[in-house]
Amino acid sequence: MSNNIIAFCCNYTLSVSEQALKQGGLISEGVTIRPLPCTGRLEIKDLLDAFVSGAKGVVVVGCEKDACHNLKGSVRAEKRVKHVKGILKELGMSADLIEMYFAPRKGSEPLVMAVEEMSQRIKG
Amino acid sequence: MTAKSNLEHILAFGQFAVTGELGPPKNGDMEVVRKKARILKGHVDAVNITDCQTAIVRMSSLTAGLIALSEGVEPVMQMTCRDRNRIAIQAEALGASALGIKNLLCLTGDHQKFGNHPQSKGVFDMDSIQLLTMMSQMRNERRFQCGEEIKGPAPSFFLGAAANPFADPFEFRPKRLAKKVAAGAKFVQTQIIYNVDKFAKFMEMVRDLGLDEKVYILAGVTPPKSLGMARYMKNYVPGLDVTDEVIARMRDAKDQKQEGIQIAVDIIRQVREIPGVKGVHIMAIEWEEAVPEIVKLAGLGPRPESQGVEPRLVSKEAIELAVSGAVEQTRASAAQEMEKIKKELQVSTELLAKEKDRAAQRIAVLEKELQEAREMVAEKKSETAILVAELNEAKNLLKNAAAALAAAPVQAQLAGSGAAPAPQIVASGQEAVLSPREQMALNALKQGLSALRKAMNLTEDQFEAIRQFLEAQFVLYLGAPMSVQTAQSIAQPVSAAVMPAPQPVAESLQAAPCVTAEPQKPLEKIETAVAASKSAAGPATGPAAGPVKGLPPCPEGLTPEEWRNKWIIRLVAKASVCLQRGDGAGAKTIFEQVLAIDPQNLRAKSGLEQISKGLTPKPVETVKEVVQEASKAVFEPQPQKAEPVPAPVLEPVKEVVKPEALVQKIEEKKAEPHRPAPVVQAAVQSLPKETVSLADRAGQVSKDMFLEQCSASVRPVTIGDGPKAITVGGANTLPFHLFEGDMPYPPKVAFDVLDVQPDDWPDVLSRHYSDVFADSAKWAQKCVKEYGAEAICLSLVSTDPNGMNRPAADAVKTVKSVLDAVDVPLVLWGCGNAEKDTETLREVTSHLEGRRVCIAPLTDANYRSLGATALGMNLPVVAATPIDVNLAKQLNILLENLGLPLENVLMDPSIGAVGYGMEYTYSVMERIRLAALTQQDAKLAVPFICNIGREVWKAKETKIPSSDSLGDQERRGILMEAITASALLLAGGDLLIMRHPMAVELTNVLIQGMM
Amino acid sequence: MIIAERKPLNEIMDMLQGVSRLLVLGCRGCVAICSAGGDKEVGILASAIRLGCKNHGLSMEIDTDTYIRQCDPEYLEPLKELGGRYDAVLSMACGVGVNFVADRCENVRVLPALNTSFYGANLSSGEWKEMCAGCGACVLHLTGGLCPVARCAKRLSNGPCGGSVGGRCEIDPEVSCVWFAIHARMQKMGKADDLMNIMPIRDWRTAGHGGPRSRKREDLLS
Repeated sequence: MSNNIIAFCCNYTLSVSEQALKQGGLISEGVTIRPLPCTGRLEIKDLLDAFVSGAKGVVVVGCEKDACHNLKGSVRAEKRVKHVKGILKELGMSADLIEMYFAPRKGSEPLVMAVEEMSQRIKG
Repeated sequence: MTAKSNLEHILAFGQFAVTGELGPPKNGDMEVVRKKARILKGHVDAVNITDCQTAIVRMSSLTAGLIALSEGVEPVMQMTCRDRNRIAIQAEALGASALGIKNLLCLTGDHQKFGNHPQSKGVFDMDSIQLLTMMSQMRNERRFQCGEEIKGPAPSFFLGAAANPFADPFEFRPKRLAKKVAAGAKFVQTQIIYNVDKFAKFMEMVRDLGLDEKVYILAGVTPPKSLGMARYMKNYVPGLDVTDEVIARMRDAKDQKQEGIQIAVDIIRQVREIPGVKGVHIMAIEWEEAVPEIVKLAGLGPRPESQGVEPRLVSKEAIELAVSGAVEQTRASAAQEMEKIKKELQVSTELLAKEKDRAAQRIAVLEKELQEAREMVAEKKSETAILVAELNEAKNLLKNAAAALAAAPVQAQLAGSGAAPAPQIVASGQEAVLSPREQMALNALKQGLSALRKAMNLTEDQFEAIRQFLEAQFVLYLGAPMSVQTAQSIAQPVSAAVMPAPQPVAESLQAAPCVTAEPQKPLEKIETAVAASKSAAGPATGPAAGPVKGLPPCPEGLTPEEWRNKWIIRLVAKASVCLQRGDGAGAKTIFEQVLAIDPQNLRAKSGLEQISKGLTPKPVETVKEVVQEASKAVFEPQPQKAEPVPAPVLEPVKEVVKPEALVQKIEEKKAEPHRPAPVVQAAVQSLPKETVSLADRAGQVSKDMFLEQCSASVRPVTIGDGPKAITVGGANTLPFHLFEGDMPYPPKVAFDVLDVQPDDWPDVLSRHYSDVFADSAKWAQKCVKEYGAEAICLSLVSTDPNGMNRPAADAVKTVKSVLDAVDVPLVLWGCGNAEKDTETLREVTSHLEGRRVCIAPLTDANYRSLGATALGMNLPVVAATPIDVNLAKQLNILLENLGLPLENVLMDPSIGAVGYGMEYTYSVMERIRLAALTQQDAKLAVPFICNIGREVWKAKETKIPSSDSLGDQERRGILMEAITASALLLAGGDLLIMRHPMAVELTNVLIQGMM
Repeated sequence: MIIAERKPLNEIMDMLQGVSRLLVLGCRGCVAICSAGGDKEVGILASAIRLGCKNHGLSMEIDTDTYIRQCDPEYLEPLKELGGRYDAVLSMACGVGVNFVADRCENVRVLPALNTSFYGANLSSGEWKEMCAGCGACVLHLTGGLCPVARCAKRLSNGPCGGSVGGRCEIDPEVSCVWFAIHARMQKMGKADDLMNIMPIRDWRTAGHGGPRSRKREDLLS
């Protein structure tokens, strides 16, 4: 599986299961979706460990900035993604291998597009 | 003890000393130092040899100093603490002393960050003051710093120090100098002076400490070599105060170098006049050639023969050995130079002779012209004599009237002195019982007058007559509610009337009764008094030309023609005042009278035309009138409510109560409101008023049980210009305690307009402005036209260096467009970054074209620069402090110390929205206002400005979407803003900055209801 | 407290060359409070090193642990035994911890993961500033509680230099002039005149210029 991607999303940014998306052919088999109560819950270590566990790319899909259910969860996640980008750079990796996306509530399209974009980036 | 240095000699003899500066080269070339020393030789008494200035590696000050000495120039060796610890410094001192260096300037030294080795370790074993202590100890006690005795010759320098009068904190600067003096400094060289006024202030404080007697102070002067250098020093050298004037002079100069020299010369001349300045220190940075010319032009040359300036034998031999070749070379070139100069001299001698002839001719012509001018002056003098005689007559009349006035009982009562002999005294007695508001009007009047005097070039006597007349007018206005505007409007017609000849007060009094309708009784008495004074002066002799209709008999001393003209002028003035007060009918009657006497009178005609067109200016409503009106209790149904506009604000949510219904609910128990709704869309109705007076409601309770009179008042502050100007403050009672005092100016609301499309406004707010987001001018216009904004706050958020960081030039464009678009008062609110705001607002204010905008926020970090700008342009400002009574007071004091009158200051005490620390805000504002009113704390008697919109609309509560539990989002936001506003109004808020049009409307209705 | 900052990862990766068994060891003292070397940061650093090794095709066994303090002997006791099992111990304590581990644990190769920066205070979440220089001769009673040794670029003792403008230091407008603040504070307390006293030349021996410093309290010695 060349395009191993781990996608973190929250309760509100994805209403369909990973299984359903894969059956619908919307995401490829290599993609793992990890739903969280809120992306604000993500820690820097979680994001690094995603890479350590074999992901080539990581996307985080959180609520739109002004519409986060927990008000600031997705903004916090964004800051941590930014921090991880810094660590990737320090390690000589591309900072583009991790990205934060903001998506409106309920709907799988943004996540699918985010994953698609990331897989393009990985292919380079 | 070694012999005194040349510099010490000169200073000790009380001669005005001149020192120069020599920067050693960034290489090992001795010639550079020698060349510079030769340029300076004979023009200065000693030369500072810098010690790696600005932390850039250069030849050491000791060696360069020795080279200068070998050229016969006395060095002042600079010694910094940056690069050496106490061991190295003392070692250098021993060496310098041994080789004949006699002056030592002790400095801490520029930080290594500014130099070419910013990575180096700064030693800073001690500071300049401790260095002075150490050097004095070596000199006086012959001991090293450690206490060990110096056996044998000890260094005995003439010790100097530096002082910077322009760094902060200003009040500590003289004290720091005192410390240096106490540590042993005998002479001081100051930082480069461009701001002579500030330096003079510094010197005043220095003299107060008696330091001018203990230390020789040499004023630092630097000729700017170019405009670029002047700008660089202004913007990038900390602790240097380059005035705008210097920049302007350099900018406008044809020859910048020559102008730079002239600037230095001018500054030398000015500082020389300041007591305590014993000399100048000329720092021509990398421009030593300028020094001789400056010294010459400033009249400081030639310098006295220098004494004892010679290198010690040891070094002399060494140097002679090392440089004998160079000496030869120099001699040769000097001989060549001599030849050249001789030739030039010849040529210029010839030229001079020619020039002399031409000058003689020119002098002859000038002398002739002078004679002619003298004759003209004689002629003018006789004319003046005639004028003076006329004036004296006018003055006599004036005195009679005043005496009569003084005799009137009411006047005596008011003035508190029965026998006021001259009108001036009556007026000043009057001042004593003036209320602050009236006092202010009188002051405005006086200021206006002196401006008038300057503008019209009046003589002292003419001006005096006008002033007395106006003060008498003013006395008449007392008791009648009077605002600044009316005071100024009086000045206008009157000044026109006075133009031909000064008008006696007694006569002008007749014009008054119609103007001031309210205080009938005193006026009647004055009129009687005036009549009496007239009859006492003898019956009027009938005018030769026969009585003209409507023209009173001509008084003595005037020809009928003069009298007729005066009377017409007076009537026109009277009518103008009536017009100004909104009394169109009165004005019309008077204008008609004028036409009866002089059918050709243009002013009367145009006045009548104006009245018939209905152009009468809106009467200046006084608070009392409003209150009276309110208490009439005539409740009329609201006239404008034909089609209630379906409140668009709340459309998206179905079950929401419309605002009308909302307000109606509040006022269910009351009858219909009686005042028309505000100019804004009539979605909110006004509040009912309490019609029963507090005294009545209190029943039997005695007044002193519930009334608490305040003994001071808040200063009124005016923003904006022309008829749309607003005034806030002025209250002499707690907010809305109208039963205890007066709130002459109701609080006002300004609409917040941003200079960029906001990105954090919730849709429920932004949708009201989204059509105009792209253009601040249109946005402001919309606020004025659609929402009836009485003022605009233009928030320059895009200039924030942490955000878009747009340059000042962008802000200028935005401000200009807004100023062109609206004529309501404008508050310019910076981004909150002190430095950037200084930059932006300074730039913006230079493009205001005379508009009186208010600039904000001034904080403790930038009040100096912005305060100075505001002071220069007479702009009102907002003093912003963290929530704290003392900080607020402190900043006001600092601003006042700067010279900025508190009449131009609004306080921003830092506010929070309801639920976000509002109770803290409230308490601090309340305490400030109580201190101002009940404890007469004048430094706090300043109106409040509250930036509410910004605080409310960033709160979470305004951003969470509509939901069952939290209700409709827009309604929630409006109420949060309006309720915050209502609480801050009660705390004393005078000018509120708000965002949502509906919240503003609710607030305005509340204000009107409470007044 | 002591403020520290993680070293650049490439520097850490360089010092780990040849290490195949590593213990990343945090400290719950100062460095945990200033978010440089507590449990969370240990986790992050370990993951980052794993990722770095993965990129280079290296295999490294990485364990993590965090001690209550690395500057007290009793907490280091287990390390004496345990440390020998690793090729290296990457200490996320301040320099004190690293030194102490090296002093106490003969068989442990200890490496620093942090740069120890200064003694400072937590201004707000994520922001620290130097407040004390540990000079060993406190003058705060003379300066209104604000330290001219730690907070003045030139360590001036007798008032602000000529570069103090509007309360800012000339070396950087971001840095405030501590002498300006001292003056303002003393003035507010009505003690501005105290600043007229000349502070004598300092004895820098207490600041470490007299050699390494130590302290003893007899009554507590065992």
